[in-house]
Amino acid sequence: MSISKEKSIEMYKELLAVRMAEEKLVEIYALGKVPGHIHSGVGEEAAYVAPLMTKNEGDYAKFTHRVIAATHVMGITFNEMFAEILGKDTGTSHGRGGVNHVAHLKNGIVGVAGSLGVDTEVAVGAGVSCKYLENGKIVYCFNGDGTHSRGNVHEAMNLASMWKLPVLFVCDDNQYAISANHANTICTPNPAFDRAAGYAMPARLVEGDDPVAVYEATEELTDYIREGNGPAVLEVKTYRWRGHFEGDQCAYRDAAVTEEMKKRDCIANLEKYLLDNGIMNTEDMELLKNEIAVELDQAVEYAENSPEPALDSVYLNVY
Amino acid sequence: MKQTFAQAISATIREEMRRDDKIIVYGEDVAEMGGIFTATRGILDEFGPKRCISTPISEGAIVGSALGAAVTGLRPVVELMYSDFQLVAFNELFHSLGKWKFMHGEDYKVPVVVRCAGGYSFGAGPEHSNTFECLFTHAPGITIITPSNVYDAKGLLRSAIRSDSPVLFYEHKQLYKTKMDVPEEEYCIPIGKADIKREGKDVTIIAVGLMVSKALEAAEKLAAEGISCEVLDPRTIIPVDKEAMFESITKTHRCVIVEESNKTAGLGAEWAAMIQEEIFDELDAPIRRVASLDIPLPYNLGLEAECVPNPDKIIAAVKSLF
Repeated sequence: MSISKEKSIEMYKELLAVRMAEEKLVEIYALGKVPGHIHSGVGEEAAYVAPLMTKNEGDYAKFTHRVIAATHVMGITFNEMFAEILGKDTGTSHGRGGVNHVAHLKNGIVGVAGSLGVDTEVAVGAGVSCKYLENGKIVYCFNGDGTHSRGNVHEAMNLASMWKLPVLFVCDDNQYAISANHANTICTPNPAFDRAAGYAMPARLVEGDDPVAVYEATEELTDYIREGNGPAVLEVKTYRWRGHFEGDQCAYRDAAVTEEMKKRDCIANLEKYLLDNGIMNTEDMELLKNEIAVELDQAVEYAENSPEPALDSVYLNVY
Repeated sequence: MKQTFAQAISATIREEMRRDDKIIVYGEDVAEMGGIFTATRGILDEFGPKRCISTPISEGAIVGSALGAAVTGLRPVVELMYSDFQLVAFNELFHSLGKWKFMHGEDYKVPVVVRCAGGYSFGAGPEHSNTFECLFTHAPGITIITPSNVYDAKGLLRSAIRSDSPVLFYEHKQLYKTKMDVPEEEYCIPIGKADIKREGKDVTIIAVGLMVSKALEAAEKLAAEGISCEVLDPRTIIPVDKEAMFESITKTHRCVIVEESNKTAGLGAEWAAMIQEEIFDELDAPIRRVASLDIPLPYNLGLEAECVPNPDKIIAAVKSLF
């Protein structure tokens, strides 16, 4: 199994778009434009983008509080994403959910729980409906390593396995649950992969700086899921380049290690792959970066110029 | 047609399942066993294991997955057995179920009914006897329904299943075996409509769930002493029928609130505050609350009875208003 040229280009475009959007979020947060928190996902993009390159039309995804920009892969526009993050009426939930809840059902996003872990159950519920309705859809359920310490993830994975639901559980193991390195908090080095046998699920472990490898491992698992065999686990080893949220100085870890880990860059590695294989050239890549930069600037401008939600709309969508 | 409360629950779910194939039933012991209170008996037989499934003891996953199934097109009716176990899924119930649409936008409809058995039932003890409606009054987005008899249970459950908003549906354990004549034909009782269970002119007794029967018993005895009690059953806790309460109290000018939750920060506290805020001038006496003592409900039957409201306590509260 290997990735097609077209797919690798598509993946590069999305990976780049997500990286640059995540960087843009950091930038506008520093300028004081974001009312809430930004949990930057810079460096971890491949754990989200590469698996989603295997999705079919209509498939579902459950994201997390990190790498919010990966919702772009599902079709969320940067305009509505940035508007939501700025709390504007033109945002995906009209400024009600904010940064943790960028979603549209029409794009297949089942939603995100700020209280992490619950949404793993929600993703499993989407799997319940896919199986019941026999619509051939599958669910991509993303979690961080930290969330794998929540009991409801265990409940959800057990249920998914018992009921043979079409769910791919993707663990982005960025090593840290806020300040807690999982070497000190989780009893096993690979929180999802090591436990997969306990849930009777097949699993793959891949390095998150190698998007092609992540894609190919995902494809194996999604083929298995689409054949009706039940859920599977993909664990992607990454490293959280920035703090848990912007403003976190990361006093709890060695900055030299972080700098070293940043050399393991999924974008740089994919660029090398594309160049080495003659799929893209540096000019194409620069052109693409310029296009995305313009789109992101326009999205920030759109969000800033968007209206605040009307105060008399405060009860919107409560019932 | 006579039905027990438990038969009525099962019959209503089955009728709705025949009408709408998006309805699925799952939860603890709902399938082969038919629920520990027999309220889902017959569903597996009629609809098979695709639409009626017993789950592991995973309240969080039951509620969370029901939410996910609902936003993606199904209409789950799930059971958590004892309402006490709602606390295991408190995060899902409190943070997620009612807030999902608010947090993610109007396309996210959450047609989920979470059924559970509440209330004291003779020695069930401190962790199997609680009455938790009041906890979820702080969880916006959730509809809370507590029927007090078989007829209401049928009509309210049907409305709950047809609602596109999440509903917590509380079935009192002591009501399951009670029997009542109910119509053969299907009917809905609107959510948010109170019901006057007995008309009166001297005092309004607002009573919830099983407490309606205690209030009616008290009202009967008080009638013999010349005090005419109106017994108002809100039926729906959220949204509550304020207008019906105000209308009744505007007639009687006195009010006693009877509930099975602990007294502190219970429904009575909220409703008494609401009534005095909005129609203070109509009151001729303070509002009295009859509720459970602020202690865990004991196992011992004598102590248990001491803790919960009964007709004598209600009678004493009513008499104190004159």
